[in-house]
Amino acid sequence: MCGIIGCAGRHGETLDVLVHGLSKLEYRGYDSAGVALATDEIEVCKTAGEIDDLRAALSERELSGTVGIGHTRWSTHGPPTDENAHPHQDCLGDVAVVHNGIIENYQTLRDRLSTAGHEFRSDTDTEVVPHLIEDELADGADPEDAVRNAIAQLEGSYAVAAVIAGEDTIFAARNDSPLVLGIDEDAYYLASDVPAFRDHTDRVIYMDDGEFAAIDADGWTVTTLSGDPVDKDVDTVDWDPEETGKSGYDHFMLKEIHEQPRALRQCLRGRVGELAGEVDLGDLGDLTPRAVQFVACGTSYHAAVYATQLFQQAGIPAQAFLASEYTTSTPPIGDSLVVGVTQSGETADTLSALREAQRRGARTLAVTNTVGSTAARECDHALYIRAGPEIGVAATKTFSSQIAALNLLTLGIASGDDDREVISGLRDLPSAVQEILDDSVARDVAETYRDAGSYFFIGRGLNYPVALEGALKMKEITYKHAEGFAAGELKHGPLALVTEDTPVFALVTGDGEMARKTIGNVKEVEARDAPVVAVTDGASDVERYADHVLEVPDTHPRVAAVVANVQLQLVAYHTANMLGRSIDKPRNLAKSVTVE
Amino acid sequence: MSVSTAVVLAAGEGTRLRPLTRNRPKPMLPAANRPILEHVFDALVEAGMERLVCVVGYKHDRVQDHFGPTYRSVPVQYVRQHKQLGSGHALLQARSAVQGPPLVVNGDRLIETEMIEAVADAYERDEPAAALAVLEHPKASQYGAISLQNDEITELIEKPTTDEYRLINAGIYAFQPDIFDEIADTPRTEGELALTDTIARLMDRDRVKGVHCEGMWVDATYPWDLLEMGREVLARGRVDTAAQDEGIWVHEDALVHDAATLRAPVVVGPDSEVGPGAVVGPDTALGRNVTIGANATVERSVLDADTRVDAGSTLFDTVAGQDVHVGAGTVAPGGDADVRVGNRVFEDQRLGAVLSDRVTADGNVSLDPGTLVGPSAHLHTGAHVQGRIAEGAEVMR
Repeated sequence: MCGIIGCAGRHGETLDVLVHGLSKLEYRGYDSAGVALATDEIEVCKTAGEIDDLRAALSERELSGTVGIGHTRWSTHGPPTDENAHPHQDCLGDVAVVHNGIIENYQTLRDRLSTAGHEFRSDTDTEVVPHLIEDELADGADPEDAVRNAIAQLEGSYAVAAVIAGEDTIFAARNDSPLVLGIDEDAYYLASDVPAFRDHTDRVIYMDDGEFAAIDADGWTVTTLSGDPVDKDVDTVDWDPEETGKSGYDHFMLKEIHEQPRALRQCLRGRVGELAGEVDLGDLGDLTPRAVQFVACGTSYHAAVYATQLFQQAGIPAQAFLASEYTTSTPPIGDSLVVGVTQSGETADTLSALREAQRRGARTLAVTNTVGSTAARECDHALYIRAGPEIGVAATKTFSSQIAALNLLTLGIASGDDDREVISGLRDLPSAVQEILDDSVARDVAETYRDAGSYFFIGRGLNYPVALEGALKMKEITYKHAEGFAAGELKHGPLALVTEDTPVFALVTGDGEMARKTIGNVKEVEARDAPVVAVTDGASDVERYADHVLEVPDTHPRVAAVVANVQLQLVAYHTANMLGRSIDKPRNLAKSVTVE
Repeated sequence: MSVSTAVVLAAGEGTRLRPLTRNRPKPMLPAANRPILEHVFDALVEAGMERLVCVVGYKHDRVQDHFGPTYRSVPVQYVRQHKQLGSGHALLQARSAVQGPPLVVNGDRLIETEMIEAVADAYERDEPAAALAVLEHPKASQYGAISLQNDEITELIEKPTTDEYRLINAGIYAFQPDIFDEIADTPRTEGELALTDTIARLMDRDRVKGVHCEGMWVDATYPWDLLEMGREVLARGRVDTAAQDEGIWVHEDALVHDAATLRAPVVVGPDSEVGPGAVVGPDTALGRNVTIGANATVERSVLDADTRVDAGSTLFDTVAGQDVHVGAGTVAPGGDADVRVGNRVFEDQRLGAVLSDRVTADGNVSLDPGTLVGPSAHLHTGAHVQGRIAEGAEVMR
């Protein structure tokens, strides 16, 4: 899904309006973005990355112009490179085009244009459009007819907008992809969705398939593609467009917590066969490492810690490193495969660590959510977690999907006796998460402890990284002190902090030795009058020592911690919400950290 | 003005479909392998609607999670009806989300694109106070019955006591933009606002157009109706996957063992697996991520997402909700049964069993025809069950 925007009549503010509009389309996904402004010539700035990367690129350029178009792209096929980012241009650089949709006959058009001498710079279907317009202009068509004639040759779905050097008009057309005009007193807009210009005007025209629009500083026209006038209504929107991207939730974070069953299904789709006990990771390539070193930051690091235990259980030595530490004090790598876990694929610390490993001759693998990201391109191999765009700064669904993907990776590399059971556990994961979403009482727990001074989280084994993650989520969005500990470490120091004002969240799944030992630690904190919240599948008797219980369904031990983590996400979310925090954009934090 | 915004009423639980509605509203129950509401959204998108406004209430997050912010590139906005106080009250919640004349449909019935187009066209032609779809139905007395004269509706009676009516209100409307004022001005009946009360007021002083429609219109009132609904969807081929063979639809991300048998009509949803020796169909829909073990037999049944049927089990005429686990060797032989719902007994219903969400049957369980098993009930190994099993019950042999 991509987003497009155009603006005429805002004079010196045009560029700001375009970039602001693109940021409002971020829910449609973003992994590359660009703008084009038209005066006597066309100036284009585009880059792989997020809107902030585009802002950075623009800060080094002087772009001016009174009409312009912009585009934000979320690629699922083909990499988000600078070249593939929109707008696309013709050979002369006199035309710039943005497009949302799929041009089905682009190969035929491209072959014809190439034969006629046009040079293509990208892999996109879109690029045929500026070259078609170029041909029409060369044949003497006036600018509007040139665009009409070019669009008439397209088959497929499109919302297209084009600017031409020396013209102060934006031309646009739609077929099967959304396009809306925004009407103000002396400025006019077009976009894939209303939020892109809602801050400037509430009057809109919804374009229909087969219609063609032209906007400039003086007004708008809508006609059929062949030029017949169309009578359009101007509607007024009074709903809050901010809400559209959030599927009716108050925050992207809650929406994304709820998206986890779907994200997990996408991660597993086509990759597991339970009845055959097989995993298919497609073109991941031959990976038979003697040992694995993970490098990651933040939430991804917690997923990496989780993965080290999976590999160790499979008999493959594995370690997890904080990426920023790895670069400066690199351990001996030997024959290890170095795996970078990064949601965005652009995390600077993780990229540095991976580059350092490569410099030392190591093979590298990126586990990422972003197709064609820097990490995916630079590593020898890439495994995609397929969680879909994540907008909330606090990572939620991508953690779950990372763990599902890392389970797949373990299965793909080292087959064991219980592969079928693990695959079965993975396939049961979406419904287990759904059960928590249906029945969780996390909100009540949050209400009870909203005013606590500190929160502690304890767990053993695979529940240890989840304790770390639970604490990180709490810190990030509530701004309160929270710490996660390996349960056994409590008595080696942190127990001194435990008081009746420090709720302790204990992760206890299964009824094995690990559960029994953690229950021992629970008794330690209970003796200091600390309130205990047990996150448990009910297999052990931890409920007897707990003030509150957050139930999780009984699942395979390899995936149980993912399910437990969903309860902690909800506790952090509801606590932050009751405290009135800025949940989707916590202070001082950015979604992906592209500086070291 | 053209009709381009659709309001979909999807806030009601559908209490007569309990216990299947424990975790989701009726519009999210399966019509074959996809939610009823997804079929409704498809029909609206294909009729050219450019914005969908979905009124949600009971278990609203299930609707929001399933469809997200856009459906097939059409933006979806959700508005909450906090208390379910009638269809008029539900539509009123969408007031601030709608400009222009709204097209309004119920989210819990299967309808056709052509019906929506016909109602929108009829409205746009001469902009009556309201236009609504009417169709012939053998059980008109169970719905809003209609009398029509020259395309104008002269009578609209909810559940009439006589059998003389043959036309019903299909629940597809187009209204003037001021419909919201009309609803707000309609006196409440026992605290509730029915949309039909407002329409009756419009009929008194203005023209309400009836648009005679034909085609698929299927409602589910009781749990076993989902079997008929699934049959109808399959018979008409309303499946979002390309057919592998005549009447056999297997999603590209499903795995069906070479030694399994699929009998048309049957649909196997994405991520599902069918093991060797299994026989699935006819008239059977498997939702997403369903697992059918080796040598299991599933006929004339609807099994919703994440359900597992282990090796050697036999399910006939069975409706399973989500995340149901049927252990090896479990048998629901199917056939006619008297089913009790509340104080009513429905005689001779063809129903093997209804297994609500998260039911676990350990194995070798036998289910008498007409058994209704409540959510999260646990049927232990070898249990023989009949009648109604409560939510969360533990049933031992």
